[in-house]
Amino acid sequence: MKNDKNLDVPKIVIVGHVDHGKSSFIGRLLYEIGEIQEEKYRELKKASQKRGDEFEFAFLLDALQDERDQGITIDTTRIFFKTKKRKYVFIDAPGHKEFIRNMITGAASADIAILIVDVKEGIKQQTKKHSYLLKLLGFEKVITLYNKMDKVGYSESKFLNIKFKLETFLSKIGIKSYSSIPISSRKGDNIVTLSKETAWYKGFPFIKVLDEYKIQENEKSEFIRFPVQDIYKMGDKRIIVGRIESGKIKSGTKLIFLPSNESVNVKTLEVWPKAKKEYEVGDCIGITLSDQIFVDKGNMASDIKNPPKLTNRFESRVFWLSKKKIFFNKKYFMKINTGEYEVSINKIKKIIDVESLIEKKKKNVEKNDICEVVIHSSELIPMDDYTFNKSTSRFCLLDEKEIVAGGIVDIGNYPDQREYKDNLKQNIIPENYAVSEIDRSIKYNHRPGIVWLTGLSGAGKSTISKNVEKRLFQKNINVFTLDGDNLRIGLNKNLDFSPEDRTENIRRTAEVANLFTKAGFIVLVSLISPYRSERKKARDIRPEIFREIYIEASLEVCSKRDVKGLYAKAMKGEIKNFTGISSPYEPPEMPNLIINTSKCSIEESVEKLEKFIIKEFSF
Amino acid sequence: MQSNLNKLENESIFIFRQAYRSIPNVALLWSLGKDSNVMIWLAFKAFLGKIPFPVVHVDTGKKFKEMYSFRDKYVKKWGLSLIKGSCPSIDKIDPSLPPAARSAARKTEGLRKIIKEKNFRGIIAGIRRDEQGTRAKERIFSPRTDSGTWDIKNQPPEFWDQSNFNYPKSVHVRIHPLLGWTEIDIWEYIKCEKIPVVDLYFSKNGKRYRSLGDEDITLPVESAAKNVDEIIEELKISKTSERSGRKMDHEEENVFERLRSKGYM
Repeated sequence: MKNDKNLDVPKIVIVGHVDHGKSSFIGRLLYEIGEIQEEKYRELKKASQKRGDEFEFAFLLDALQDERDQGITIDTTRIFFKTKKRKYVFIDAPGHKEFIRNMITGAASADIAILIVDVKEGIKQQTKKHSYLLKLLGFEKVITLYNKMDKVGYSESKFLNIKFKLETFLSKIGIKSYSSIPISSRKGDNIVTLSKETAWYKGFPFIKVLDEYKIQENEKSEFIRFPVQDIYKMGDKRIIVGRIESGKIKSGTKLIFLPSNESVNVKTLEVWPKAKKEYEVGDCIGITLSDQIFVDKGNMASDIKNPPKLTNRFESRVFWLSKKKIFFNKKYFMKINTGEYEVSINKIKKIIDVESLIEKKKKNVEKNDICEVVIHSSELIPMDDYTFNKSTSRFCLLDEKEIVAGGIVDIGNYPDQREYKDNLKQNIIPENYAVSEIDRSIKYNHRPGIVWLTGLSGAGKSTISKNVEKRLFQKNINVFTLDGDNLRIGLNKNLDFSPEDRTENIRRTAEVANLFTKAGFIVLVSLISPYRSERKKARDIRPEIFREIYIEASLEVCSKRDVKGLYAKAMKGEIKNFTGISSPYEPPEMPNLIINTSKCSIEESVEKLEKFIIKEFSF
Repeated sequence: MQSNLNKLENESIFIFRQAYRSIPNVALLWSLGKDSNVMIWLAFKAFLGKIPFPVVHVDTGKKFKEMYSFRDKYVKKWGLSLIKGSCPSIDKIDPSLPPAARSAARKTEGLRKIIKEKNFRGIIAGIRRDEQGTRAKERIFSPRTDSGTWDIKNQPPEFWDQSNFNYPKSVHVRIHPLLGWTEIDIWEYIKCEKIPVVDLYFSKNGKRYRSLGDEDITLPVESAAKNVDEIIEELKISKTSERSGRKMDHEEENVFERLRSKGYM
């Protein structure tokens, strides 16, 4: 874009307890600086009079019928205005505790935060909760407005009293009060001009404070963070698109991609209609690479010197937005940067009472609680600590239906997590093959993968994998099935069914599968593999391409099927250590796919798995 | 530090790419007005010169003739894959709506029909927060039920550029890449990028159209602005609202909310 003299437009969010006058303040301010259009003024006057008021400034923002009828803000809104100095966007956030999710939606994108408190009512629950949420959203300072001064006779001592209490609270949570202004939205005191009523106030009116406020740039970090948003194939180019979250990128920049841990140079910058020489924070660009490597949506490119950490376990402070409580070992989806991961919450470390700032004595969270949790993922996730890079360390959690929480990553303060850094090394793949994996993939037009089918004997693993193998083969996919029973005829001949030998059986099978992937194959492993811990070891060999499929069928169904007559023998005691009868089976906690063969026909099961594989490994 | 237009452009590109990646079967609503032309331009930027989804013109049959010729010219010039949708006649529309709003509601029905016919799961629309109070309350990704309704009091949270896309098949998502732009931003961007617009926006005989809708319910405003630069200068001091020439907005206090909760853009 050329000749663009357009200045930055700061976004201001205004928060505080319900009815402390957020919407009215904005309305009044815009009126005072002449930013309410004439016809808008007439329209609002009509709407106010209809409801028995002379003029309700809040109606400028409270546009919904329900908001006007009930006199509260339900959802966040934005309004644009300009002062003599610059343009702004006001974000009005609801103060009612029912609408915290809307408050966060509004506040999360703001550059400046204003906290408003009614001097007559004093500090209330949502005053504190909103302050705490501002801190979680990354604000270090706020402008504080002491509203409704007219209702306390413009008393300085009243103002000082509330100010002291509020600032004490703010300092405890690590927020600085940038400026404290006694105002009245109703009368217009100290908003645009200084009021005669508060001769004791030695500061500036609000508008001057605002115009002089310096915006802190979001991300000062010089280290490159470039999360991969998508990959576009255009002609023979594979263009990796994303937004630079920090640092600068130009042709020749050396990047390391996580979790694959491969480094490569930027070959070209791809921007329509024509690329500049260099791009920086906030720019949405495309790049091509000097060498072909695996890059997936959700991967993170960064500079070599200071990459994000790779971890599958971390602590986090979250705000919980759902009515449903936290379930341990339930599958949640975590979205961080452009990646999506399956995670579980393993532990609630503490629930914070934002009023007293001490730990709440209760076991589980309720809607709008703030808490510290430990999160576990089956895959390694590239992430930064919140103190290191704000934009690459915040995430949201979803269940099947909705966003249930938002949170920030805390890996810096916990030295016990340092061991996970070593995962970086573990993930390095020796590049001593003459033909590389990526070359094979390009030729075969799909990626290699390990599709691990676990389940009871007779659940249908072999039947499904054989059929899927046939179908994929017909689609020109390099595919091979490793079947537990077949392996035991040769490679694993010397192993029996004792726990130790089962473990070794799984280890060997996983290693063989791994070799097949090096040859570019998608390997279907059909193996009872009853222990979670052993399946985890198998996954850890190539976590990025390992997919665990639970072929589910009840013991009752399997023993009824008894295709090989094994259950009958086991029940008579003729087979020792038979899974499900005389040896345990631990079902997966977070499989990538569940196929229930007591509910799905063979045909349906095969189709489900085939679709899954094509989706996961198509190139 | 990035300039404002740069920032807005990047935000929109990010939204476009997020929508295309996360929602199957999306389409862009092209109303032939200035905002949707800017959207098309931004889509070219997001997808590096080739828009990978169709553009839909829900045709009320009552647009200005200049708009139709603009459409036919730029479909070819820009290489768009255009889908034309039609609207039902006025007698099929809720008679309790005031006349201009009732006329505008034809478009809601036309849109509903084409979404169903083509099974679109995402509709990219060029609405902006500064146009109207209920639009100011919109999300960037806003889910609509199969009948197109907007559940205003129960919108999903949306923060840190993360949204939920996991909706049942009966739900489509409205995608709003221009939500954060203002009228003047649009014109400044049109100027910077030299994006073509219909001539009706420029003053003839002391009047111009500031916002374009159906010919019978859209009025021109007094203006001497004959080109993009003059429009920008005019807007810097204007005290009237952009949609002042749109009759439907001024019939009753709640009319826009009623239209929008039923699926109007």
